[in-house]
Amino acid sequence: MRMHNISSLKQEFLKKWAMGLQTYRASKKDMSIWERKKAIKLSADIAMASTRTANSYWSRALIYNSSKNHCNKVPVEHVLGSESECLVKASTQLVMNNKRVRSKKILKRSCSVRRMKKILAVPQVGLASSIAKRLVKKRTQVLKSLLPGGEFMDEFSLIKETLDYIVSLRVQVDVMQQLADATDRLNRSKVINKE
Amino acid sequence: MEMLHCLNIPANVSGNGGPDMTVLERQRGRMKWQQEEQHQQALLQQQQQSLFDGNEVNLFSMQAQAQQFQEMMNNEPSLGELVTRAMKPDPGMENGWPDFGTIGEATGLGIGSCGFETGLDMNYAISRTTSCPPAVAADVAVADAEGTESILPEKPSSMVGRESFKKRKADKKTHQCSAISEDDSKEKRIKGCAEEGDSKITELKSNSSKNTTNNNGGTSGDTSKENSKVSDVQKPDYIHVRARRGQATDSHSLAERVRREKISERMKYLQNLVPGCNKITGKAGMLDEIINYVQSLQRQVEFLSMKLAAVNPRLEFNINNLFAKEMFPACTSNFPAIGLSSEMANPAYLQFNPLQQAVSSGLEMGINPSDVALRRTISAPLSIPETFIDSSCFNQIQSFSTWDAELQNLYGIELQGRSTPFPSQPFTGSIEAGNPKMEM
Repeated sequence: MRMHNISSLKQEFLKKWAMGLQTYRASKKDMSIWERKKAIKLSADIAMASTRTANSYWSRALIYNSSKNHCNKVPVEHVLGSESECLVKASTQLVMNNKRVRSKKILKRSCSVRRMKKILAVPQVGLASSIAKRLVKKRTQVLKSLLPGGEFMDEFSLIKETLDYIVSLRVQVDVMQQLADATDRLNRSKVINKE
Repeated sequence: MEMLHCLNIPANVSGNGGPDMTVLERQRGRMKWQQEEQHQQALLQQQQQSLFDGNEVNLFSMQAQAQQFQEMMNNEPSLGELVTRAMKPDPGMENGWPDFGTIGEATGLGIGSCGFETGLDMNYAISRTTSCPPAVAADVAVADAEGTESILPEKPSSMVGRESFKKRKADKKTHQCSAISEDDSKEKRIKGCAEEGDSKITELKSNSSKNTTNNNGGTSGDTSKENSKVSDVQKPDYIHVRARRGQATDSHSLAERVRREKISERMKYLQNLVPGCNKITGKAGMLDEIINYVQSLQRQVEFLSMKLAAVNPRLEFNINNLFAKEMFPACTSNFPAIGLSSEMANPAYLQFNPLQQAVSSGLEMGINPSDVALRRTISAPLSIPETFIDSSCFNQIQSFSTWDAELQNLYGIELQGRSTPFPSQPFTGSIEAGNPKMEM
């Protein structure tokens, strides 16, 4: 799943990112470095997410989150282009899902309270395992906070999404790294030229 | 459904009609039971001998049987009665555990062969193996009582195959002992044993259900129902807890196990993906590593976007073609054959056409080299990332780390190619730098 489409992933990401950057360039002429940085990051993120929308949840969550931010709306739509309708659908779906998950969470909490009582009643036996469980739970929580849209995932889908997310982040980092190196070198060569 | 037989036959004997049973089923059950008894009486002596030395043979102790024992205890049975009753559930067992015949065929056969040297059909052999243990166990019970005690303590829930069989046997023996001694205090222990038996059986079923899927889910549900039913007649207090517990183990263990397996499978993928995660065992450690990795990647993105913003103060866009151009010599030097041929043939090239136009328009604003050179630099490189990635992927299908290494390598080569011929004109120069390499 990951191996063979990494090349196409990179390609698509580059294409979309370029388009996103173009829209930025069109919309604003001079920006501060922070603005530029933000623009670059956002467009890169969205480009990455939009290449993965079909089969992952995190990307939809990311798009949804960034499109919620009002000033980002225009570039987001530009990057997505024809897919902006999908985006709307996905976001509404997301909201619906969230509500459902929330109610589930409440239910779970009430259950876990009962369970905790049981555990307290038998402290010696389940002590080690409960500590281990707590450790895992804590880390899972952290991971959920790291992943876009992670709060609403169960454990299984969380791991699946993490896989996907890591792969895409790597692609993103790779491409950006190459780009940065290239610009660096070009700038250097320009300087040499001038001299 | 089939499990009902074993429960209902004794129920008939003791005068309680099984409410759920159809007449046909009952008859069939009785028939089988009678057949069984005949065979058993013929074989009883042999069994006792063989079972005495081969303790492993008395394997299948069933929860149904355990319940039988409880019933018996309530009815104040003599030992002889005990033996016969213990045999009664067997026809039911034969029906109730068809999966044993098929799935555990290897074990079943092994048991049959060591337990009974008589050449009978598989079914009978299995049913007999299941049926004989209580009878013999009754004989051996007193002698084995101490031994069983040591086996009894709880083991991790993931018991499979023989181990669980042995345990069951042990359970049954304890049942027998206490049945003989008729202690109230022991009754409790028996209950515990029965419970254990329950969970074990359901577990076994869930194990087998991996192979035979749906059927077992139904049967296990039935067994738990029956448990509650039978025990309802006797002692309402314990039963409730037990039934619930049994049910929990089934649905739970089934779904849980599937889920856990899926998760661990994914975790393995992740382990391969995240560098330095291979040596770590334990979920918490792995999660730690994953979290660190994701964070570092996110930070890297942050950093890189910052860097990019700093590096080109004018327009972001000419970055792209610069990048593409810069990649060009490196790629051609690394993959000379692909570099040029794919330039024309590559569908990616066509794909990038709109981009190329955008790039060229962007460039016109930014830098102003000769037009022809520009064209070339733009058109070639854009197609290249794909080929370069393709071939690198081709080289390492196995792992990402090597892929990274390859990339590093690429960078190294790129730098070399960059540093050696460095003419005054950067654009044409890069092409020239590329060309000799291609001829190589």
